[in-house]
Amino acid sequence: MTQRIWVLTRFLIERTLFSLTGVLYVILALVYWRILFPVEQGTPDIDNYFLIIGAFGAVMAFIVTLTTASRANEAANYPLIVRLPSRVEFLTAVLLSGLLVTGMLQLLVALLALIRGPDLFSVRALDIPPVWLATNILAAVLAVHASDFVTRGWSRVTIYGILAIFLFGQSSSSSLAPWFAQRLNSLSVTLINHSWVSTAGLVNRLISWLNGDGVTTLGNVLGFVFWPFRAILEAVINGSFDSNQALAPAVMLLYATILFMLAADLFANKDLDFIE
Amino acid sequence: MIEISNITKRFYSLVALDNVSLTIPRGEVLGLLGPNGAGKTTMMKIVAGFLQPDSGTVRPLNSAWPIIGYKPERLLFPNQLRVSQYLEMIAGLSNISGQHHVKEVVGHSLEQVDLLSAANKKIKDCSKGMRQRLGLAQVLIGNPPLLLLDEPSNGLDPEGQTDILQVIQSLHASGKTIVISSHHLHEITQICTELVILNRGQIHYRNSMAEALAVRPHVSIHTDKDLAPMRTLMQALHPDVQIDGQRLIMKNEAMALRRAAMTILLQNGYDILHVEQKRITLAEIYAKAVQ
Repeated sequence: MTQRIWVLTRFLIERTLFSLTGVLYVILALVYWRILFPVEQGTPDIDNYFLIIGAFGAVMAFIVTLTTASRANEAANYPLIVRLPSRVEFLTAVLLSGLLVTGMLQLLVALLALIRGPDLFSVRALDIPPVWLATNILAAVLAVHASDFVTRGWSRVTIYGILAIFLFGQSSSSSLAPWFAQRLNSLSVTLINHSWVSTAGLVNRLISWLNGDGVTTLGNVLGFVFWPFRAILEAVINGSFDSNQALAPAVMLLYATILFMLAADLFANKDLDFIE
Repeated sequence: MIEISNITKRFYSLVALDNVSLTIPRGEVLGLLGPNGAGKTTMMKIVAGFLQPDSGTVRPLNSAWPIIGYKPERLLFPNQLRVSQYLEMIAGLSNISGQHHVKEVVGHSLEQVDLLSAANKKIKDCSKGMRQRLGLAQVLIGNPPLLLLDEPSNGLDPEGQTDILQVIQSLHASGKTIVISSHHLHEITQICTELVILNRGQIHYRNSMAEALAVRPHVSIHTDKDLAPMRTLMQALHPDVQIDGQRLIMKNEAMALRRAAMTILLQNGYDILHVEQKRITLAEIYAKAVQ
């Protein structure tokens, strides 16, 4: 299995790097470095280094994996897939190649940014690899779900729809709660008119909750999913990770694992009708 | 080797395969014939595991799933690779390891399809015929027991077609199970041992090739005059005797009476111009099945 995954990964990396897209990625990395880490000015702040290159890695992991997945979705790959005992090996190779190409680009920017940049021989440098790796992996798995390669039916819309609900919900819970309360109030009136008094009572209790602690609780529930991102951001800004914040990369990897398992299930059972 | 039971496959409102059952016997060359859109490629893709049937099952008989070599109808390759690089990658996926062994396997497969001279050529520079041979070469890597060949000689010149047929025949002789989809009837006649004719997602004909071509031979006796006046007399001889202008056609058991028929014709003043004994052709079987 390892040999097959490695053969496919190498093939996909070569296809990405030795193409016009690959050249564009390298140019993009150099432009990013030149704009955000100007050598003349010097960029010694390690927090800046940590966050800006981390964000670059996450964005590139998404873009590169999306490109790799769309290349993997070509009919030229039929004779390759038929040789695999499990399709998941191909999916793993797509993910690995996306991550390795991203790693090379991120390393390029990270090394260039050291020119008149921060001193990496500090304790902070040890915090960097797990955080960058976890965000890159999560971004790459999300990219796989965004591609036609894995999508089955409405799966892409469902996954990104749920993410959008959480994202929108956590930031707008204070405005959403009164809106919900208003709708529920109308429902309660309708229920009383139809003599469903006990059900209307339940709805009224829900309205009271929404008007009381509900807003905070709803915001917390919807915002929980994004806790690792907030935790990492706070830790970097504060200059150190506390014991809870140190778990954030692990939680991100847990998200990535769940999403990868979902992608593997979708890919294993979908009709492969690749683009000719 | 593989049993296909009651599979149905729909693409939106189009029924590509409709409750099809079929056994692919071990060691046979099964030819899939049918017009465009009959469901041949869909069936191959289901057996190869690319498509999932909406209902029904595909399972191996008495064994685990065999390794499959698949040559798609449209030959698309990673054009930036060289021929040998591509085959080395297929070898890697077939669990062949060791640089020397990989090169040996690749060399052998290239030799089998007469493509050794193009080993270092970039795929994008290969002609259609070379790509067709490459498609077959990749199928041979790793010695898979089941080969699915969708239009194996498409785009080849007559010489190339003959070469490919010879390769397939030698693969059959080595005990491989082969499924071929083709529009070339002579190709199917030459190399297949089993015949399946699909039309509109259903099997319309299934037989061994030997039996298919052996059935219903007939004798045709050509005379110098119209045979209509002889109709009653000839049909009294046997009900399977038919008259078509100046031609007397004798089928099945009636063939045994050809001498008697010719004697009667000569006695009645007819000259016999020539006699031919024909077997039914694949074209006739195909035309009838897809009617």
